[in-house]
Order: sequence, then C-alpha cells, then structure tokens
Amino acid sequence: MNLHLRPILSALLRNRTGAVLVAMQVAIALAVLVNALYIVTQRIEKMGRPTGMDVENIFVVQSAGFTAHYDLKSSIEQDLAWLRSLPGIIAATPSNAIPLSGGGSSQGLTIVPGDRTRDNSFGYYEVDEQGLDALGLHLVAGRNFRHEEIEPPITVDDAGRFVGNVILSRAAAKELFGDQNPLGKPVYDTLKHQATVIGIVNPAMNSWVDTEHSDWVFYMPRLTSSLYGGVRYIVRARPGERDAMIRLAEAHLSASNPDRVIHFVRPMTYFKDLSYLSDRSMGIYLLTVTGLMIAVTCLGIFALATFNVATRTKQIGTRRAVGARRADVVQYFLVENGMITSAGILAGCALALATGYYLSLQYALPRLNLYFLVGGVLVLWAVGQLAAWQPARRAAAVSPSVATRTV
Amino acid sequence: MLGYYVRLALRSFSRNPGISALMVLAIALGIAVCVMTLTVFHAMSGNPIWWKSDRLYAVTMDNWDPNNAADKKHPELPPPLMTYKDARYVAASRVPMRKVIMYTVDATISGAGTAPLRTPTRATTGDFFAMFDAPFLYGGGWSAAAEDPPPPSIVLSRETNEKLFGGSNSVGRVLRWNDQEFRVVGVLDDWFPRPRFYDLNGGSFSPPEDAYVPFAWGPALSLQSSGNTECWKPETINNEQDFLASDCVWIETWVELPDAATHERMQTVLDNYWAEQHRAGRFPRPRNNRLTDVGQWLRDMHVVDNDNRVLVGLAFAFLAVCLINTVGLLLAKFLNAAAITGVRRALGASRRQIFSQHLVEVAILAVLGAALGCLLAALGLAAVHHMYSAAHLGYRGGYQELTHFDTVGVAWAIVLAVVATLAAGLYPAWRVGRTPPAVYLKSQ
Repeated sequence: MNLHLRPILSALLRNRTGAVLVAMQVAIALAVLVNALYIVTQRIEKMGRPTGMDVENIFVVQSAGFTAHYDLKSSIEQDLAWLRSLPGIIAATPSNAIPLSGGGSSQGLTIVPGDRTRDNSFGYYEVDEQGLDALGLHLVAGRNFRHEEIEPPITVDDAGRFVGNVILSRAAAKELFGDQNPLGKPVYDTLKHQATVIGIVNPAMNSWVDTEHSDWVFYMPRLTSSLYGGVRYIVRARPGERDAMIRLAEAHLSASNPDRVIHFVRPMTYFKDLSYLSDRSMGIYLLTVTGLMIAVTCLGIFALATFNVATRTKQIGTRRAVGARRADVVQYFLVENGMITSAGILAGCALALATGYYLSLQYALPRLNLYFLVGGVLVLWAVGQLAAWQPARRAAAVSPSVATRTV
Repeated sequence: MLGYYVRLALRSFSRNPGISALMVLAIALGIAVCVMTLTVFHAMSGNPIWWKSDRLYAVTMDNWDPNNAADKKHPELPPPLMTYKDARYVAASRVPMRKVIMYTVDATISGAGTAPLRTPTRATTGDFFAMFDAPFLYGGGWSAAAEDPPPPSIVLSRETNEKLFGGSNSVGRVLRWNDQEFRVVGVLDDWFPRPRFYDLNGGSFSPPEDAYVPFAWGPALSLQSSGNTECWKPETINNEQDFLASDCVWIETWVELPDAATHERMQTVLDNYWAEQHRAGRFPRPRNNRLTDVGQWLRDMHVVDNDNRVLVGLAFAFLAVCLINTVGLLLAKFLNAAAITGVRRALGASRRQIFSQHLVEVAILAVLGAALGCLLAALGLAAVHHMYSAAHLGYRGGYQELTHFDTVGVAWAIVLAVVATLAAGLYPAWRVGRTPPAVYLKSQ
C-alpha cells in the first residue's frame, strides 16, 4: 500500500499553523494523560492495600468519664458485657486507638535491649482477649491473648509500664527478626522492658495510612487507660447488622452511665474513608480533568480536519475527477492527521518524560513507568484517527463534478 | 464603530453557531478548572493573620535525639512543639511583648443545665486572645498576670455558648469543666482562622477549640494533650512530675516581637538558655533555636501539600490546551470567512480595522466564556464541597471549608478568561488582516 507520504507532507508544510497548534495540544494532552494515569494508579493501589481487618463490619464507640464517681475498670466491664450479650455482635474489645484513623500511639521496639542504632516506631493497640476477633485479624502463627493475661490500665503513676506478651504484625516481625522465627523470643521497649512474642497476624495496618511503614504494628494485652482522650471500644457486628447495632449501642450507652459522655459511635469505614479522602479526591479530579483535556484535544483535531476539508473541496473534486477513489480521499486525510498526531506524540513523549522526572524530583513521586507512556501513545493515536474519521468521510463524499465549477 | 463590529461579530457567530459554541465551551472549561483549583489553592495558602504575621513567631528548640532528627525528611527543623520546661522558660521571659504557651485537651462540660457536652479545650496563657486577634462577643479573657495559681476562668466559643446558654450573654455563669467549677469570663465571636496557623498538629484546617482555660489547669489536673506528644529519650516516667521534667514535646509556643531589636534580644535569650542547658547535659544536637514568623511557619509545616501544587500545574496545562484549541478554531473560522474580509479590504478597510473588528469578536467570546466558566466553577466547587462534607459527616471545618466560591474567585475568572482569550485571539485576528484581498476577489 502506498501512503503517498511525500506530497501530503509537502502540502502540510505549506499550511502549517493549524497543524502545529493541534500537535501542541496532542503533546500536552499526552504528557498530562500519562502522568495523571500513573498517579491515579498509585493512589488506587494505596487505597486497595489489605488492612487485614473486617473494616466493613466494625464500629467504634468513644466515651469519656468526667466525674469523680467514674470508675474506668467497672465501666469498661459493664459496657463490654452488654455489647457482647447482643446477638448481632461477634466480638468487642477496648482499645487505646482506632486503626486507620490517623490518631494513635506508637512505640520503638528492639530485639537487643537499649539498642539505639535503629530508629523504628510501631503503632500499637491495647486490646483484650477478644481484640483480634473484634478487629477481624488473622493469626498466622502462635496464639491469641488469654483472659488472665490482660493487664490493668496504665495510670499517670506508671505510664512507662510495658506488658508481658505481644502479638506482632508479620511486617513488624520481619523488621525486628528478619527471617528468624519470632515466636517465644523477647522484644524490648525503649526503657528496656521485656515482652515475649506469642503470635503473628497478617496482614495488619496501624493508624497512619500515609506513612511508609503503615504495616508495622503490634498488640498488647492490656485494658486501655483513660489518659489519652477517653475510652474506645472496637466492636465487630455480624454482616448486615452493623448499622442496627450502632443505633442500639448509641441509645443504650448514652443512658447507661451518668458519669461519662459518649463522644461518638461511628462505623470504621468513616475513619478509613476520611484517611483516604485526599487520595480519592485527587484521583477523581485528575481523571476528570484529563478526560476533559482529551475531549478538547479531539475537538481541536476534528475542527482542523473539518476546516481542511472545507477549504480543499475543489482540490478533492479535482482529484476525484482524475481518478482517485473515495478510499484514497479518506486515506489522504487520515494520513495527514496521522502525521500531525505523530509529530505531537513525539513532542509529547519528551514532555511526558520531562514532567515525570520533574514530579519525581520535586514531589518525591516515583519515576514514571514507561508502560504508561506506551499506553498513552496508543490511546492518543487512536483517538486522533477517530476524531478525523468523520471529516474524512465527508471529504470522500465530495462529487467529482465540483472540479468543473468555479468556487 | 464598536456597535458595528459587535453586529458583525454576531453575524459571524450565526454563520457557524456550532464552532462558536465549541469555542465558548472550551474557554469556559479551561477557566472553570483553573478557577476551581486556584480557589482551593488560594484558601490553602492563605495567611489568616497577614496584618501582624511578621510580628508573631513560633518558638522552637531542637532538643531531639543526637542520632535522629525529629523529622527525618527535614532534619534541619527542630520539633514543632516544645517541652514543658523550655516552654515555661519562654513564658517567663519579659522580652516579648506577648507570649503564649498552650496545648489542647479533651474535656467535658456539665452543670450548665444541659446534657454533658464533649468540649475540646485549649489550655493557654492569657495573651492568646490579644495576640491572635480572637474577637470577643461578650466579656474578655483572663489577666496574663493572674495565672499562678490559675483562676477558674473559661472562655467559650460562640457555638459552645449557643449549645450551653442558648447564645445569651453567659459571662459570670458557673459551669463544671472536667468536674471542676469554672466561671465564664468571655464568649468569642465567630472565629475561624484558615489555616489554623497557631496549631497545625491536628489537621491544618481544623476549627478552633470549643473552649479556653488557663494553661496551668492542664498540668494541675494531669490532663494529657489530645494533640501530639512526642518523646525520643528513654526516660522512666512514674508520675506527672517526671513527665513535666521529661524531654517529651507537646506544647505550642508563640511570642509577639514588635521590632527587630526585640527579635534579636529574644534570640539571645533562647541562645543563652540553650548554652546553659547544654552545659547541664541537655540539647545533644547542634544549636538550633528558631523564631519563625507565620508565613515561614506555614511553609515549614507544609500546609499546602504537593497534591495541590500538582493540581495547579495540571489546571494551567489544561487551560493551555483549551487556549491553543481556541487559537486553532478562531484561525479556521476567520480564514474560512476570508473572502468576506477580502471584500471589506478591497472596499477600503485598513488592516488595523480588520484586526479590531476580529478582536471585538474574540472579546465577545471571552465574556461568554467567562460567564459560563464562572457557572461551571461554582458547580464544580459545589460538587467538591459536597464530596468532602459527605465524608466528614457532621464535622465542622476541614477541607470543605476551602471550597467557597467568593467574589475574589469570580473576579479572577473574568480577568483570566478575558486576558487569556484575547491573547489567544491576537494571532488569528492579525493573520486574517494579512490575507491579500486580490486572491479572494479573483475567484469570486
């Protein structure tokens, strides 16, 4: 097949302003498309990381005692006994913090007491024997906490106390022990207090979804204290029962104890959604604007092709009169459009790589993946041909008799 | 003449209404995306106390771990909070015109005749209100002099006063704050500095607290911070006194320094204190005592995040595509009608007149584009607002507060649309004036 590149190119070069403008649009659109899709993919991956928790069915109760009559321990016992008696509830645990919420506590751990060479920090949760079940975590090695192991809450006078046993996330175990089996081995807090690793859960996540090591987490068998802004319960409902249980818990717990106030009863999805809100809105915004940009670029290609067809009616008619088939005319315009788009794509590749490099330097985003560039090139080329298709068909419809008329 | 050009332009639009509508739409989209992004960016990067921003300084001292900086990504910065000991030293200094040390606690208010109310509270010294220009609706703050022992005084936010006292003047009323008797001394008017520059720890755009009590009540009642508490040093903490003496940081410290001389004296105070403590074995890292004004503080704390910078870049790239598109369409449209221009030229219209005539046409497109762009931007912002509000449930503050479309936004949109579109129209209007009339007259 002969595409007649040479005459098309020379015709194009004689009338290049419109073509240059379209090529510029294609170049910018390609650079934006490729980088935007790359960022969006990363956000989707980030939001889709396994949490290890039954997020959809969990809700959280936060309350605080405010009078001298308030007794932390008996209050927790009463509330948990009531929550656990409900048939719609699988398990409930007190906790010092809400995973995925952006708030919580962390603690450095080492396997050599007093080792200060490694600066690591692990999110931790104080839970009781129903903790793993309430969070829906999956134990992959070792055992769960026993009821008699649950330690009393810390107070102002012993805030630095540690616990006897801990359960680690697999990622935390790997950071501390490498490939060794951590079960039964000691870990130390920064004050060199010792605890024994009795179990491993996987996967798991701590409170901070934006940090590098959001899977570094461990669990302590201890009742939560009221030192840090009240008491939290993490409650896991049976599938489908969550919202009914939330209403029930709110009504009952608000009235059951005059010495404390319920701050909120909220589904865990609330906290997860809030933590990922900026990623989600960034994704939506990028996709919307990129989509609009491609649409506007198509419009530009379409308009240029239409303009070219309109101004060359006589030329087309002449070509048809001297023997060009309709297909030849269509081909002419598609090839012309292909050349313009290709020139834009070539410039766009350079622009896309430069933008990707700038973003990776300036905003610490990972370097652009080249598969995205290949994909972007194919998309824009196809879209460009589609946009030129209708004007090219219109050109083919020009009657050869036009050649004999003036105008 | 202008009226005639406008009539010509309208005729030109009616000749090809499709392409004219597309141009208006492209301009409007470009403007809308830019205005939306800039509105949020502008709100985010605002300095909510610009009128005295160069007199207010955050005080920080690097007391951190000799082996590890407080923020590994920015090792040059001290921790943003101070230890109790260091903050108290700054608070005792007579050099600053005003000084504030503070932190937030989660408290409950009862005994006001309503159900117990969860009340996030700022424990702060008395200069807070005058220093940050917090407006009072009723009453006032407490005297900075009378803080030891702290008076049982409380200042309520307007919203809290509405919840507790139905919005009436509650100054002098008694209530229970964390089960202690307090007397209301003041009620603030609506006040929502965005970003909340004086405390950026719990989200930069969080609303101010619901109540304010004298700082010393916090340690006196052993109330832990509901914001951040960061510790690096392995220290045994067995009671409140140990905690207050520790190297844990949890207090925000600000000073007001009216002139360069005071600034210099304050820096000397910090450096001397640092040297004395360093000799006693504290401050293991190199000397890094900072007085940071509000503008720099907002930058150091990264209030405007990278995503927003990327989005601003994207918005301008989009506007560029829309404008290049407009240039292309205008060129096509004008040259398509070149025969008419040829006749007008032959009948004596100068190039300059042809240029002005076409520029008038462009200006009309620009105005229409701006109007539609404003509408689209308002709709877009409403959609973003809705998205954030839905995620925040009943929560006041947060990002949705940044999406208000204001008069400044509208002005921006119109200026941007007109300038950008006229710029886009310059070349096509000039180019069409250059067409030699003879070519068109001949074939006619």
